[in-house]
Amino acid sequence: MKNKLTSGIATVAALAAALFLLQAPADSQAPAGKAAPGDAAKAPGKGGAKGKGKARPTGPTPRTADGKVDFSGIWNGGGPVGDVAQGLIPGEEISLTPWGKKIMDSRLSKDDPEANCLPTGIPRIAPYPWRVVQTATHIFYLFEGNIHSFRQIFIDGRKHQADPDPTWYGDSIGSWDGDTLVVDTIGFNDKFWFDFRGHPHSEQLHTIERIARPDLGTLDIETQIIDPVAYTKPFKIKFQATLRPGEELMEYICQENQQDASHLQGPAGPP
Amino acid sequence: MRAKVLVLAAALGVVMTVPVLAHHSFGSEYDEKKPLKFENVTVTKLEWTNPHARFYVDVKDAKGVVTNWNFELASPNVLKRNGWTKNTLKEGDKVTVMGTAAKDGARLGHAQTVIGPDGKRLFAGSNTADGN
Repeated sequence: MKNKLTSGIATVAALAAALFLLQAPADSQAPAGKAAPGDAAKAPGKGGAKGKGKARPTGPTPRTADGKVDFSGIWNGGGPVGDVAQGLIPGEEISLTPWGKKIMDSRLSKDDPEANCLPTGIPRIAPYPWRVVQTATHIFYLFEGNIHSFRQIFIDGRKHQADPDPTWYGDSIGSWDGDTLVVDTIGFNDKFWFDFRGHPHSEQLHTIERIARPDLGTLDIETQIIDPVAYTKPFKIKFQATLRPGEELMEYICQENQQDASHLQGPAGPP
Repeated sequence: MRAKVLVLAAALGVVMTVPVLAHHSFGSEYDEKKPLKFENVTVTKLEWTNPHARFYVDVKDAKGVVTNWNFELASPNVLKRNGWTKNTLKEGDKVTVMGTAAKDGARLGHAQTVIGPDGKRLFAGSNTADGN
């Protein structure tokens, strides 16, 4: 009797676990326009928002005094977490070069920079809130996680640095295409991964992000990935961030008590 | 018999349907085929730290041997956004914890349901549906 019960529990647990793994990606992974069970538009309060059940905020697109779209606010999501391919725009595909495939196939989960409390780079986003601070000349992303860090985008008309040092967030310059901010970034290091699966890139990575705020509560981020060393052709992905009104960033010092990396097993992979 | 299984199935269903997102791959650290359940165990330590808050419990097996288990929670920020304070769990509290065991055999688990000393279920997910 006890054995049967134990067996039944194990079976049920396995089924539940399978269901658990098969769930659609959560909000921060959700490609734009594809609502997932955890999409903040449906259940924003479950993880972090104050007050469960709040819908995605609605309203007109905010604008600065000079009429530009104002991206300011606390956001959640907007980039890949588990698998960059989840954001592929229809018709786009990820095609690794032999170099890129070799790198990706060799990656182990324990070596994921994010698991080791290093920055996400671009286009990856950590599953924590982040704030946009916008001035007439700069846009800053303030990240609660994966490390307490920031990204800066120059919108003052400057050009790229002539020979930028390789960095985690690169050298970003933004220009306006109507209501869309086009952010061109070069000067990346090759250390970060695009996702838990370990999609790679080289120092030749060049990203072009088209960022739009079609309404108060939505930030659409379309990113073209260009890296002829790692990918045989460019590809475009699109993710959506959700406004988190009333939220504030909190301190998150990832390195404080990081115990995970030493327990991660096997190849880079599942979310 | 069947009723018992169904009740447990419902309970486990709740336990296991937490989507997973964190700064590391859940599936690389924990084995979803190894559910854990420790009832009425004593908290020996709480670490209110990043990237995960952690609590440790003493677990006595059938032979009376006591081992100490380390359970991963969400980050303090996510816990605070879901009603926790640093005093929600403390040393000496009796809790029931359900979760998932580490793949590598360490006495380490991912807490998915914690029933606190007052009998109330606490938010526990290391990772939650909207990406925290």
